[in-house]
Amino acid sequence: MGILSLNLFISALRLATPIALVALGETYSERAGVINVGVEGMALAGALSCAIVAYFTGSPALALIAAIGIGASLGALHAVWSVYLRADHVVSGAAVNLLVTGFALFLTRVIWGWRGTSPSAPTMNAWILVGVGVFLIALSQVYIFRTPWGLRLRVVGEHPRAADTAGINVYRTRLFYTVLNGALCGLAGAFLFNNLGRFTDGMVGGRGFIGIAAMVVGNYRPLPALLAAYLFGFVDALQMRLQEYIPSQFSLMLPYILTVIVLAGFLGRAQVPKALGKPYIKEQG
Amino acid sequence: MEGIVKRFPGVLANAGIDFSLSWGEVHGLLGENGAGKTVLMSILYGLYQPDQGRIFVRGKETRIRSPHVAIQLGIGMVHQHFMLVPRLTVLENMAVGWEPRLGPLLDRRAMREKIEALVEEYGLEVDPDAKVEELSVGEQQRVEILKALYRGAEVLILDEPTAVLVEQEVEALFSTIRTLKEQGKAVVFITHKLHEALEICDRITVLRKGKNVGTLSASEATEEGLAEMMVGREVVFTVSPEPVKSEGRVLLSVEDLSARDDRGVPVVRGVSLQVYDHEILGIAGVQGNGQKELVEAIAGLRRPTSGRVKVGEHDVTGRSPHTLASRGLVHIPEDRHLRGLILTFSVEENAVLGRHREPRFALGPWAQRRSAIRAHAQELVRRFSVSVPGLSAPARTLSGGNQQRLILARELSRAPQVVLAVQPTRGLDVGGMEFVWEQFLKARKEGAGILLVSMDLDEVMMLADRIAVMYQGEIVAVLRRGEATKRELGLLMLRGKGAVD
Repeated sequence: MGILSLNLFISALRLATPIALVALGETYSERAGVINVGVEGMALAGALSCAIVAYFTGSPALALIAAIGIGASLGALHAVWSVYLRADHVVSGAAVNLLVTGFALFLTRVIWGWRGTSPSAPTMNAWILVGVGVFLIALSQVYIFRTPWGLRLRVVGEHPRAADTAGINVYRTRLFYTVLNGALCGLAGAFLFNNLGRFTDGMVGGRGFIGIAAMVVGNYRPLPALLAAYLFGFVDALQMRLQEYIPSQFSLMLPYILTVIVLAGFLGRAQVPKALGKPYIKEQG
Repeated sequence: MEGIVKRFPGVLANAGIDFSLSWGEVHGLLGENGAGKTVLMSILYGLYQPDQGRIFVRGKETRIRSPHVAIQLGIGMVHQHFMLVPRLTVLENMAVGWEPRLGPLLDRRAMREKIEALVEEYGLEVDPDAKVEELSVGEQQRVEILKALYRGAEVLILDEPTAVLVEQEVEALFSTIRTLKEQGKAVVFITHKLHEALEICDRITVLRKGKNVGTLSASEATEEGLAEMMVGREVVFTVSPEPVKSEGRVLLSVEDLSARDDRGVPVVRGVSLQVYDHEILGIAGVQGNGQKELVEAIAGLRRPTSGRVKVGEHDVTGRSPHTLASRGLVHIPEDRHLRGLILTFSVEENAVLGRHREPRFALGPWAQRRSAIRAHAQELVRRFSVSVPGLSAPARTLSGGNQQRLILARELSRAPQVVLAVQPTRGLDVGGMEFVWEQFLKARKEGAGILLVSMDLDEVMMLADRIAVMYQGEIVAVLRRGEATKRELGLLMLRGKGAVD
């Protein structure tokens, strides 16, 4: 059997899903003007809470809700720091990452005693989450570009003062979409857990950051970001097959090298929202 | 509006202003920069909350907590900096916040029909599907006015609407304002241009230093009277340069200089000129005929494609602004915010910008002499009467006129040989302009050569000893003071060499 089988394309879709979900979340929050580099931590927190709830209750559905809830809460935390307290967005996001990484290590040891992994726990079929992801992305494409709410979202990220004079609450909009971003990262984490059947502390493995890259390549549009995510997923799937032929230490690098190359090409071209990362101050004196 | 008071840190922007507006009138709000015009109207529009005072709308006392409330009351405002998203279409920009809906979707067809109806009614031509970034400034302003009308504005506040427009666009705007007036709407027209206020307004209110100095009907107002109210004293409209004798030394010499603009188009084509001591050489021309690039090429900010620039005996072609400054050439840039000042830096830091490495102000590369810098800044602020909230206040907190004073103070205090100045009085009020002119004449008297680029023909004709007319990247004529009438110069600017023959 050759490397390029149908199987390869199918597993690429699975591997693309968490990347695409993060890309979608980041598209929302950056369109509103909030940079969130905490996606890595939010996805990890989603995976961990999913594993813990599944392990103790045996219910994959409850686990899924927990993952989304934790992701959303971390999104809210980031929004409070960056939107309301006007902290630097990157610093606040990095703080989320550090917080979750440390907490995950601590919790896995306390609960399971193993070094950084959980035993296997009940899961749901990961394909359901793949389907949910693709559906949300298609829906978002329409939402952002065809609905009044999507229009408002775009104006908030481009020209918050114009949005304000149009009666749109800039702060609340930013809070909402950052929470949504967190929820989608939590969902990405839930997918990772259900895909593998257990939690390991390195399981996000840069997919959050690659999700941000996919968003940039997709130029802040959900469907193109999905295609970009699929490209990353495909290379990830490909490198797994290549491990038969070349040392895994090398093939594992491929998705990351691709990220660097693709970003170098696209970063300058993306139409970054004008007010991205800038705090909005209502009355300027 | 009654007794409106608004304080900002260090500034009393509105010190108890009364202002009234009636239906069907165009009310001019006149005043120098920093007189409080925009602040007063921003309060009416709900952007700021007044510290004291009451607002009555249609006879009822009202608190306008936000622009959204103002809009619901039928008050619309077109800001100096447009509230438009360049990347979105005209339709999207107008719809946001008041979107017609078709189920969960934005009803683009309904929106388009509404825009077309407004376009028809007011004669403001725009393409609803064009992206705002593709539109000219005048068109963007039309979109802003349409947006306000779409949101149901009965009162329209226009903040210095003509500052960004060219002549024909101003005419079009005035006819729009007249249409609005005929429909019984009220218009507030903020400006500091006297003739515009007299031309379009029914009543004129003059503000000075946050106070209402008087409201009068346009028919009983004169330019001189209004100007006096604005600045609070008799204004000499024209400063008159006293004759000084040049020693005939060439201070700045430009030989066959060519340069390209940012898109790579050659826009300066073989320009040669000399600036002598005790002289102001004015460059007149319609904006976009290569003046900006010419000055940048001289000032070391743009690499010339060919030609030479000499300051005195020294060839400085393509040298850095720092080197040029050490040769005695200073630059008063067109864009104060981009190149003149660092807005977030303090007044004292800005006062030594470019000179911060001099041993006077620095101990080697690692330490500043803070007390020397402060003393120098103090001296400049005093000598050039820059009004500042404090030496450590960020330059951003200064009004436009005082920012320009600070730049002039910094550059002219270096006793320069050559001064390059581009549009030095743009956006300044009468008092500020006069100050700039006086400073230039003083520098001229002390022997400096000044290259003055201005789009304002009156300014050039008043100040310059010689006038070079620039047209399509070339100097098409050099005339001595009094050699040409305004009309002849205008023709040269518009049509180049063939014009006068």
